[in-house]
Amino acid sequence: MTKAEKKPVLLPKLPDVCVRCATCMAACPVSRVTPRFPGPKQAGPGAQRFRSASEASVDDWIELCTGCHLCDTVCPAGVPISEMNMMAKAKYLDERGRTFRDWLLVRSDLFGELAARFSKIVNPLMRNGILRRLLDKLLKIDRRRDLPGYEYPTFRRWFRTRSTAEDGTGRRKVAYFYGCFTNTNETDVGKAAVEILEAHGLTVIVPPQRCCGIPRLGVGDLQGAREMGRRNIELLLPTVREGIDIVFSSTSCGLMLRHEYSRILHLPGAEELAGRLFDICEFLLRLREEEKASPMFRPISLKAAYFAPCHLRSLNIGFPALELLRMIPGLDVRMLEADCCGLGGLYGFKTEKFSIAEEIGKDLAEAAARMKPDIILTDCEGCRMQVRHLTGLRVIHPLQLLRDALSQT
Amino acid sequence: MKRFDLIVIGTGLAGLTAARTAVETGAKVLIAGRGMGALTLFGNTIDLLGKIPPGTDIAEGIARWIAVHPEHPYARTGVEGIENALADFRGLFPPPYGFAPGGNGNSLLPTGAGTMRPTYLIPVTMAAGAAMTPSETLIVGLLGFKDFQVDTVSLHLKCRGVNLALPRYGLEGATALALARMMDEASFRERLGEAIRRQMGGERFIGLPAVLGLRNPAAVLKTLEKTTGARVFEIPLLPPSIPGTRIFHRFREELIAKGVTFLMGHSVSRANVKGGRCEGITVENPPLATEYCADRYILATGRFLGGGLWAEMERIVEPLFHLPVLQPGEREKWFGKRFFDPEAHPIHRAGIVTDADLRPVDETGRVVLENVRAAGSILAHHQAIEEKSREGIDIATGFLAAKRALAT
Repeated sequence: MTKAEKKPVLLPKLPDVCVRCATCMAACPVSRVTPRFPGPKQAGPGAQRFRSASEASVDDWIELCTGCHLCDTVCPAGVPISEMNMMAKAKYLDERGRTFRDWLLVRSDLFGELAARFSKIVNPLMRNGILRRLLDKLLKIDRRRDLPGYEYPTFRRWFRTRSTAEDGTGRRKVAYFYGCFTNTNETDVGKAAVEILEAHGLTVIVPPQRCCGIPRLGVGDLQGAREMGRRNIELLLPTVREGIDIVFSSTSCGLMLRHEYSRILHLPGAEELAGRLFDICEFLLRLREEEKASPMFRPISLKAAYFAPCHLRSLNIGFPALELLRMIPGLDVRMLEADCCGLGGLYGFKTEKFSIAEEIGKDLAEAAARMKPDIILTDCEGCRMQVRHLTGLRVIHPLQLLRDALSQT
Repeated sequence: MKRFDLIVIGTGLAGLTAARTAVETGAKVLIAGRGMGALTLFGNTIDLLGKIPPGTDIAEGIARWIAVHPEHPYARTGVEGIENALADFRGLFPPPYGFAPGGNGNSLLPTGAGTMRPTYLIPVTMAAGAAMTPSETLIVGLLGFKDFQVDTVSLHLKCRGVNLALPRYGLEGATALALARMMDEASFRERLGEAIRRQMGGERFIGLPAVLGLRNPAAVLKTLEKTTGARVFEIPLLPPSIPGTRIFHRFREELIAKGVTFLMGHSVSRANVKGGRCEGITVENPPLATEYCADRYILATGRFLGGGLWAEMERIVEPLFHLPVLQPGEREKWFGKRFFDPEAHPIHRAGIVTDADLRPVDETGRVVLENVRAAGSILAHHQAIEEKSREGIDIATGFLAAKRALAT
């Protein structure tokens, strides 16, 4: 193995590594639907050759990159295209300044708890036509996009106050990173995660945690994202140092914690954290493969489509949720043949980008219409929102169906 | 950790073929590659051996080629091996879109450079190109689409050419993928067909850039042929190749449906070699490196572009297993004097030498790693570009490598 260490595998992050083969142009969801974005080849390494730290940015289209990372996954030369885009976007927006809307949207973690507490008032307000018109006009949050409703009690509160059936002493512990959306908007995902982990003989702990910071990265706010990352690493490292694995159920939070904290943000402690972080389905699958625990799934007779989120693809762990779902007897589950739902996190909420998100999503809607599933399963909350909006079907996290298959009688 | 029966390294046509061949036998398979392979760079048609003149029976031509080139990858697979592998490949595509030969031998197809190029298996969307005659053909370009220059193509093919404004918003800068996606929409292609029909002056063939749909190209072809009353064909273009993307998507869909673990986007950075065997490979997704283990491995990482071979200053190396590489000597012997020399540059012959089982061997012919096989363009003793044999080598050796690997 000594020879292996000196060979040229990790390529320098230079634009000249790009040979302009244009493979990324066959994968980019944005340039597929609009000529306004020149595509990853041009926006990434192409424009990078002309970028200079001392000169003002001129590439205003850089904001149209959704940060899906699909270009990175197909590049045969290993060019970190989305990272180049991210850095260029950060510089562009640092110079131009961010809107109040962007400031507000990336801080949803701060008012989420409060909104959840007053969800009975907040939810009808967010569906109020007049308010939505105002938000659209003043803040450019598109009124055609449904805003997610808040739930109370939050996942955190539910977890803290629930009565555990059995005493967990002697059982292996696993920590759960639930993410903001599970906490305040889709608490059932968190409940399903806890139930499944417990059914696999584990004791679940929920260490203190903050928003992972990926919304801030989405608007190129590296400093803000770094701040979130620093706090999370500080909060999570004690768990890691106890030798406890941490699982996440949101693939975007997971990508941020596991890879972007070190790859983009270069945060101290990020590598140590990454070594103990797992996608929850990846973790469960491994547990079952090692035959440490394999509770049986009861049959569910449904035609289901599984959609793989872009950030799951970027995690590059295969499709563990799909493999788990295949273990449910009677479930006819197939991959939904579509690349990218189009939402891009907060991207699709913005008036100036709404039509791009919709156009990207059209391909997914058509794929679903061809397949006619009863239900669609996907690991990312953004994808779930968008796929519901596009198809009108029931869209849930794979964990929720797996939980049903475990608890059904 | 799950142990696989087979790990395929490389997501190009050779790797995809190997993975599919293996999973068809019920094996547990993992495929890992840094990117999408070269299917979007070539992959418009399936070349077998373009050097065989059209009109010659392909099987006879290859048998003669093997007799003269006993070390060529085709000598390992044999004519029958190629035929079986190609039949398998064709079986991947459910009608109406699929691949077929234009006869017993090679056909000449028009290209985006305005030349006629020999190839063997032709997608249904290009079949009419083999039958076109210059006086009866109209070449149609799409205004604002820079990857297809209708003037160049029509001038060289001696056909009439027109540049059509697209029946939708300003598409200056539209990419091949954007156009292909629009073609999938019935109303768009109907309007395009109508616009073409108005330009026709009695032509019986219409040539268009190879962007006739990503999801349902046969339907696009049908609409266009119905509205124009002519036979329509796609003309291969610069990368990214839409027909190649179709092949990739079809493989990916099939492999995932069959339960193959599909990893794409990061290098296989290390191989764990012990006692003449590979025990595991590491996929590098910084900051993590994950090891995957199998009983057998197939190396299908291509040559220089795919990263299968690496040129140091004076030496060509295979960076993963450090396999011996057949090469022309020091750097000054790597290239011919002229870039477009009809003879291949000596460096194009570099690659991995194997035994009859596709296991890499050293200079003395001794097998280096007993559970590793090589497939695709990384193999030595071929000049895929000059021979026009790229896809044939990928498919035939990918197929053979998987069969042989699983026979042990």
